[in-house]
Amino acid sequence: MNHSSKVLVTGAGAICGAGKEPEEIWQAVREGRTAFAPIARWDTSNFPPLASEIVDVDARTLVEDRKVHKLTQRSDLLGLYAAARAIDASNMVAYRECLDAVAAAAFNDRTGVYVGSGGGTYEISYDFFPLLTTAAGDLRTFGTELTSTVNPMWLLRTLPNNVLCHVGIRYGFKGANACITNHATSGTLAIAEAAAAVRAGEVDRAVAVGHHAGLEPQAGLYFQALGLLGVDAVRPFDVTRNGSLHGEGAAALVLEDEAAACSRDASVLGEFLGSGCVSEGEGLLSVRADGNGLARAMALALDDAGIRAAEVGMVVAHGNGTRASDASEAAAIRRIFGSGAPPVTAFKWVFGHLTAASGSMDAVLALLSLRHGVVPGIGTLRELDPACAPLPVSTAPQSPRSDVALVLSRGFAGMNAALLLRASTDGRG
Amino acid sequence: MTLTRRRAAITGVGLVTPLGNDTATTWEALCAERSGVAPIAGFDASGFSVRIAAEVKGFDAVAVIGDRKLLKFANRYQSFALAAADEAMRDAGIAPDERTASRWGCVVGSGMLGFSYEALADLHRGFAADGELNVKQLLAAGSAAADPLVFCRSQPNAGLWLLLRRFGIRGYASSVHTACSSGGQALGTALKLIRRATADYVLAGGFDSMIDPIGLAGFCLLGALSPDNDTPERASRPFDLTRNGFVLGEGAGFFVLEEWNAACARGAHIYAELAGDGNSLSSYRITDSHPSGDGPIQAMRQALADARVSPGEIDYLNAHGTSTPMNDRSECAAIHAVFGAEAARVPVSSTKSLMGHLIAGAGAVEAAVCALGIHHGTVPVNANLVERDPECDLNFVCERHGPQRIRAAMSNSFDFGGSNSCLVLRNAGER
Repeated sequence: MNHSSKVLVTGAGAICGAGKEPEEIWQAVREGRTAFAPIARWDTSNFPPLASEIVDVDARTLVEDRKVHKLTQRSDLLGLYAAARAIDASNMVAYRECLDAVAAAAFNDRTGVYVGSGGGTYEISYDFFPLLTTAAGDLRTFGTELTSTVNPMWLLRTLPNNVLCHVGIRYGFKGANACITNHATSGTLAIAEAAAAVRAGEVDRAVAVGHHAGLEPQAGLYFQALGLLGVDAVRPFDVTRNGSLHGEGAAALVLEDEAAACSRDASVLGEFLGSGCVSEGEGLLSVRADGNGLARAMALALDDAGIRAAEVGMVVAHGNGTRASDASEAAAIRRIFGSGAPPVTAFKWVFGHLTAASGSMDAVLALLSLRHGVVPGIGTLRELDPACAPLPVSTAPQSPRSDVALVLSRGFAGMNAALLLRASTDGRG
Repeated sequence: MTLTRRRAAITGVGLVTPLGNDTATTWEALCAERSGVAPIAGFDASGFSVRIAAEVKGFDAVAVIGDRKLLKFANRYQSFALAAADEAMRDAGIAPDERTASRWGCVVGSGMLGFSYEALADLHRGFAADGELNVKQLLAAGSAAADPLVFCRSQPNAGLWLLLRRFGIRGYASSVHTACSSGGQALGTALKLIRRATADYVLAGGFDSMIDPIGLAGFCLLGALSPDNDTPERASRPFDLTRNGFVLGEGAGFFVLEEWNAACARGAHIYAELAGDGNSLSSYRITDSHPSGDGPIQAMRQALADARVSPGEIDYLNAHGTSTPMNDRSECAAIHAVFGAEAARVPVSSTKSLMGHLIAGAGAVEAAVCALGIHHGTVPVNANLVERDPECDLNFVCERHGPQRIRAAMSNSFDFGGSNSCLVLRNAGER
């Protein structure tokens, strides 16, 4: 497909169990420093799966405005932090400050915010437990004692769109926006929709954020009961893989129209080339064994970008380490690339599955991999599952075949999404 | 933008609302000005400061949907979505088949209270009886304490999945949530999918229910609801001087959108064109727009420009009009700023006066009201507007008029969080 103007990446930010900056996280991936440990926040004596928590920093210190702390949840703070880092890196606020009032207002109206959100936690509802105890099953008492027991701002804290709201309030951006709550494709779709808004000329630039902090006992229990969790490691495509492990984090990109970026002399990290998104339309939790949905998403992304599969330099697989997803993902990659697939890697084995933020994080790290000219190896891979072979994965670093990365995300509801990104190695578009 | 851009035809409409469990019943009640607001019947709300709401009445999911196996995965608002989407698909008379499934998209604005009061109370009884979750005990119980159906229903994209599954949609799919703008933003996204040829058909809408003890509690705590328990039918009075908060509603609204030429080629009945989308962020406060209308102004201007419709062509404006003191005033300021002299002419009503506020469903249901208004040539009434507020000086529709041609209609939705959605629908006979 022909697109008249390029969509450039002019800023990035990220945080997860492996670090607080994109480069720090990428180095952890590159060096194979996995960031898993027993969960520190609760008693895990009955819950063996490890997770990748952000332990070395109090999430509240990530967002200066203390009013915001009372109106948000942990995931929101991570998202606000990643967005702020990306916005800072893009230098757009400093640029706006040099504009006159009319031009600055136009800048704000032409800056969008697109968020992929985990959509909430179970724990936020536990604020009602003391009231439920008081009410002892009597709804009338539940009603009469409500205001003396529960924080008046409770509902606002639960909103899935808090990051969208508070990025807006903090920076004054007023352009097109969305809050996507579509499980593990949320962050990916935030990038795709932000890029679409830039391409369509609705905005000159947009911040695309994905955030998720869902490490809580109730959620862990469900995932364990459903057989989706491993225990001590995520081993994408390995013959012994037995499930995923969760992480928490957020990542953000600033996507900008080429002309707008040039006019403010922005430094350029890369380019959004295209995206594809489809559903398999079958089970909520299941995936098709043949990888049909993911293959279609990849084909759509290639078509959208107007490039051939042979031009792709590396693939960042979803690689969540579950039996069914990895095998069908390998099948989908073979279907698109035949025997000529470029180096394939995945990142969840280092900092866990970030769910709504996973596509955002993988996009940030894909750009860094291309910039460094290194496709990081998968350190936990011991023996490639014959059901996934042939697949050009390795424990050792590989070299990308070109400056283009294909990033894959899959989520509940049979969702499959693919992004194509090109890295800029010279800081120019 | 090129002159040959693709257009989106609305060829199917489906509704489940406090006024009726299908489109015809809802429209009839709206025209007859029958209020859907009443004392809450779904649970004992006698202890709450607010005890009224606009509930969906007599809804039998099994009777409408039939598929008991699928309905096990659905909570109340997800069932509304299935029923309204079913009606929209039947109405459009077209469905995905093997050849077209991947050209069908689905975009929904979903309610967010997936973890229900009942499920929370169960958890409390089992593992938090003293007021705090006993994590060790919960985890020791293992899968016995992990009902997979509770997990499935609580997923933010569970409603989306139910629709994908029921209709075999295999193309672009997304679930969005910007509180009260969710439904409007879902339709706006759907329009763009048709325009950019990502899809040829989109099932799109919004659905919600927050009328359960947790949802009601959340709004009672914020003090956002009208406390007029003794006069439920009068409680929602958008733009009235004495307005004092909104009334919770519930339900779902769905459209089938089709690429215009394809819809014409198959001789489909077209209610209207979904012609323009405006989408902005207020960036002011979480629950309010700026008194000047900043934020909503940009959304409305964008929607008009996007639809290539001038303010003089808008013959009906379905206002967000929640009946809260600040937001109604801000919306009026925005309408004046955008419409200028035309503001004195454009008929305006908030149908929340009769059906309450459907939160994530509101934008979609009210866009459907606009489509039906265009189709029937009828402008719905703003009920309960008795005492004029000098700060809300617009041409409000206070009584029913005879049939009139609506060239184009506008639907506003502004949310908690500052996202503003504005949609413009155009009469299929225009241009």
